[in-house]
Amino acid sequence: MENVGLFLCTGCEIGAAIKTDGLESLARECGAKSFVMHPFLCSEEGVATIRKAVDDGSVDSVLIAACSPRAKTAEFRFDPLKVSVERTGLREQVAWSHPHGEEDTQMLAEDLLRMGLVRIKKNILPKPLDETIEKTVLIVGGGMAGLSAAKAVAGMGHPVVLVESSARLGGSMAGVKDAAPERPPYGELHKNTIGELISAVQGDPSVRVLLQARTVHIAGQPGQFTVDVESPSGKETFQAGAIVQATGASPYDATKLGDLGYGLTPDVVTSVDLDRMIAKGEIRRPSDGKPPRRILFVQCAGSRDPAHLPYCSSECCVTTLRQVAAVHRDLPGMECAVVYRDMRTPGQMEHFYQAVQEQPGSMFTRGEVAKVEKGPEGNLVVRLKDSLLGPDAALQADLVVLAVGMIPNSADSEAIRALRDARVGAEKGDSDVQRAHAAKVAEELAFHEGTEILNLEYRQGPDLPVLRYKFSDSHYICFPYETRRTGIYAAGTVRAPMDAAQAAEDGWGAGLKAVQCISAATRGEAVHPRAGDISVADFSLQRCTQCKRCTEECPFGAINEDVKYTPQYNPMRCRRCGTCLGCCPERIINFPEYSIDAIGSMVKAIEVPDEVDEKPRVVAFLCENDALPALDEAAARRLSWNPWVRVIPVRCLGAVHVVWIADAMARGIDGVLLIGCRKGDDYQCHYMTGSELANKRMENIQETLTRLKLESNRVRILEISRNEFDRIPQIFADFEKTIEETGPNPMKGF
Amino acid sequence: MAPLADVFPSAEFRDELASRGGVTAARCYQCATCSSVCQLAPDDGPFPRRQMLKAQWGLGDQLVSDPAVWLCHQCNDCTVRCPRDAKPGDVMQTVRSLMVEKLAAPAFMGRLVAKAGSTWPLLLGVPFLFWVLVLYAVTGLQIPAEIKEYNDVVPHWLIYAVFFPVAGLVTLAIFPSGLRFWNLLGSNGKRSGSFVVHLVPVLIEISTHKRFGSCDAAASRRWGHFALLWGFVGAAVTSGLLLLAIYVLKSEMPLPLLHPFKVLGNLSAVLLVVGGAIVLYNRLVGGDRTGASTAFDNFFLFVVILLIATGVLTEVGRFLFLPALNVWIYILHLTVVLCLFATFPYSKFAHMVYRTLAMVHERMTRPV
Repeated sequence: MENVGLFLCTGCEIGAAIKTDGLESLARECGAKSFVMHPFLCSEEGVATIRKAVDDGSVDSVLIAACSPRAKTAEFRFDPLKVSVERTGLREQVAWSHPHGEEDTQMLAEDLLRMGLVRIKKNILPKPLDETIEKTVLIVGGGMAGLSAAKAVAGMGHPVVLVESSARLGGSMAGVKDAAPERPPYGELHKNTIGELISAVQGDPSVRVLLQARTVHIAGQPGQFTVDVESPSGKETFQAGAIVQATGASPYDATKLGDLGYGLTPDVVTSVDLDRMIAKGEIRRPSDGKPPRRILFVQCAGSRDPAHLPYCSSECCVTTLRQVAAVHRDLPGMECAVVYRDMRTPGQMEHFYQAVQEQPGSMFTRGEVAKVEKGPEGNLVVRLKDSLLGPDAALQADLVVLAVGMIPNSADSEAIRALRDARVGAEKGDSDVQRAHAAKVAEELAFHEGTEILNLEYRQGPDLPVLRYKFSDSHYICFPYETRRTGIYAAGTVRAPMDAAQAAEDGWGAGLKAVQCISAATRGEAVHPRAGDISVADFSLQRCTQCKRCTEECPFGAINEDVKYTPQYNPMRCRRCGTCLGCCPERIINFPEYSIDAIGSMVKAIEVPDEVDEKPRVVAFLCENDALPALDEAAARRLSWNPWVRVIPVRCLGAVHVVWIADAMARGIDGVLLIGCRKGDDYQCHYMTGSELANKRMENIQETLTRLKLESNRVRILEISRNEFDRIPQIFADFEKTIEETGPNPMKGF
Repeated sequence: MAPLADVFPSAEFRDELASRGGVTAARCYQCATCSSVCQLAPDDGPFPRRQMLKAQWGLGDQLVSDPAVWLCHQCNDCTVRCPRDAKPGDVMQTVRSLMVEKLAAPAFMGRLVAKAGSTWPLLLGVPFLFWVLVLYAVTGLQIPAEIKEYNDVVPHWLIYAVFFPVAGLVTLAIFPSGLRFWNLLGSNGKRSGSFVVHLVPVLIEISTHKRFGSCDAAASRRWGHFALLWGFVGAAVTSGLLLLAIYVLKSEMPLPLLHPFKVLGNLSAVLLVVGGAIVLYNRLVGGDRTGASTAFDNFFLFVVILLIATGVLTEVGRFLFLPALNVWIYILHLTVVLCLFATFPYSKFAHMVYRTLAMVHERMTRPV
């Protein structure tokens, strides 16, 4: 930017913390065209000062040196197409966290101003996206979640196409008579209202339902998906703005549960079978058609068992409670014994559990089924182990019901892609060895063939990535419906095990997200967490070496490849995390307000005192999602930290380029800290993989250090979560100690 | 504990238990809070979790032979701490009342007392009618001008003529029940040592209530029961001593106030009044600590309180009331005593026998 205006606020103790006399000349030296000091910049009058300078054209970019970029966002919002705005958090990083009037504090503030000024000079104004955006939402799956999503989306005025693979709507709840209680006192069965929901959706003129249909191809990006669907009425193509995947789950295959007696006699059935009997109003023994006198329910049938499903499906216990209550209602005097390992009754269902338990004829006991065998009178004998009744307890029953868990109807996108890559490799590999290896991989993954659901034309695979146990991707900690495919939201049991009420809520949530995504696309904005960001990445493709790193590492699959592996960027899939920027060895990927050069300049703008001054310098790259808020919180609580640390907020640890570290080292800075979010199974990274990628790239960084003949402990990568603000001072102190032990950077002064 | 093979629950037993106050057993989810807080449960046989489970499942056969049911003093430490309000203390008490009925001989007496909620007019009315008719026949129910001693109202010989045979019959009735119970317990563990040798420490334990004292329960429960026990013992001993005074020593009746026998009798009366007051107070205001009030419990308590009240009134009424009133108070007192005697094997009173046997059994089966 050409005309940078520095607006310095002296409120909130900033004026007391630093000497402001020399700052104007500092600003001019760093290229600021104007310098305004204001005692209360976020006041109406202060904001008006900035607005006036912007409106009369005297500045085209504004550096607000006041509070953290996370504070006063409404006050300091200007038209991003007219003016570039950067914020320097003097309040949090200087005034609230360091002793006022000291030399180190002054040096810190001046460095931060220099860094802010050189950075904003490198900014360019974003060019707005101007695309045609389709408002239709595609919903895949017509069960509880999909129907709820359809209702939500249609209610907000968006057209819906609902694609259902079977011949009827309702999913697994369609054949169920009752619902677990949904209202206080949570003691009695409710009517299953899926029928009403189906009628409402079918009767809605803005919803088009395609039965026995499947998505055979989806290309494009949010706002512009091109969807091909095949149904008995032929193949059709339409546009969709966003997608909800609510493909549900299937009951676990009971034929694998022979050790629980399945298949021994027809009188061992699954909970799904019993639901059918209850719906028909005929609870009968399949073997002789007579009503049973005692039903024994086996909980966790195949669940929480490494040999079958290692996880808890979370709803089987409530399903059994619902069935016990229905049996008591339909056949008074019947006995229902429930053998469980642990009854799990999420939410308010504990009340239901108690109510069912107190019904005469209900028996609940802890234990595991050791064996089911034929009984003396054509009935069944269920032998228990680990039961409180002793080692050899056994129960007779006329009907045994296995409460089976659920398997998500998902497709393992990454595995399918690996399979496709291996097939190509088996044919076109460079050597016999490579071809043989690829063929072997292809054979191992062959069972994924034909499992595709969405059939996305994405470089990273045709479906949503899956998490543990093949449940579809979801940022389950912070944003449950969000997946790593922008504009595609997972809802219901495909996302996580849940009951019908939760699935309905999930459908609503995902539907709202889909509509939100379409409206963001209409404005050319990113969806969260950089909601409102209109800038998009710029690829200088003439310098691209087709290394495929960006297409592989983009957490959101935003970048496709052409046949020559040249990246094809889909801006509306992009979440602006900057992971591609961080990985590109040629440094050809930049954002208008977040470029390699801009951040690199910040590093270079830090004044590094001579070795004799014994004032080491540390650059800390802080993720703006967790680490920076933690720092702000530490400042708000007046915690103090080492004044030699210079903080640079980054979009994500994945968006830290190695060259910045090299820049810092070359400049004589003694150490570099990277502080990001938690990684691993319970990751908190808003961009899913940023923190993990940064850790992987550390190897590369170590190499760089070795090349520069520097000690590898000058760079440290750490995880912090937002609530761990109290760790901040210690983190800086510990690193300072390491740097002291290692000694000053030998590059100082070069 | 012997392995439980082929457990087939009995819905009847469970329903019966439920209908008599044990309905809360269904709420138990076997977390074992009860067993861990129970001060009385031995380390190698914790209760009442297992008993809750058996109650829930209707495994009556196993409960009947389970000494733990009787080792419980229903201090309700478990009930107040149960996270699911399954009231193990109440369930154990219900099981005990059910067992008293099951073991009763003759069986119809067991059923009669078990249903005291509706049969109490009969249980009290028959002894009352008995006394009225007998006295009418013997003395013509004449009201003396002044009651110097109660021999004037009911001759001593008549008292003995009634109560000696009744006591004999009751002993005859409780003996087979106790024996059956003892045999049932025997199926539950191998005993060693002699009954008498183990009875002694049990009796010492009973006489001190030391075990009861280890419960968290308010000390008042322990001391209330303690006072009642010793009050009854004192009253029984006094009755024996009176026989001595009347027929052997030929002392002049009524005995002077400071006569040792009289002192003992009055001391017992004081203990009974104090104990009865504590127990009644706990029952009325005790909440969870006291447990549910079933007809079985209430009938027994009612009879005991009535016994104490009429007993005291009989003694002091001689100086306060008109002879006519005193005569009827005395008849009422005799009615209650007869009722208590006659229902002894079938009411809560029977715990005296069953709990003692269970405690001896428990000592005899302890691992050496």
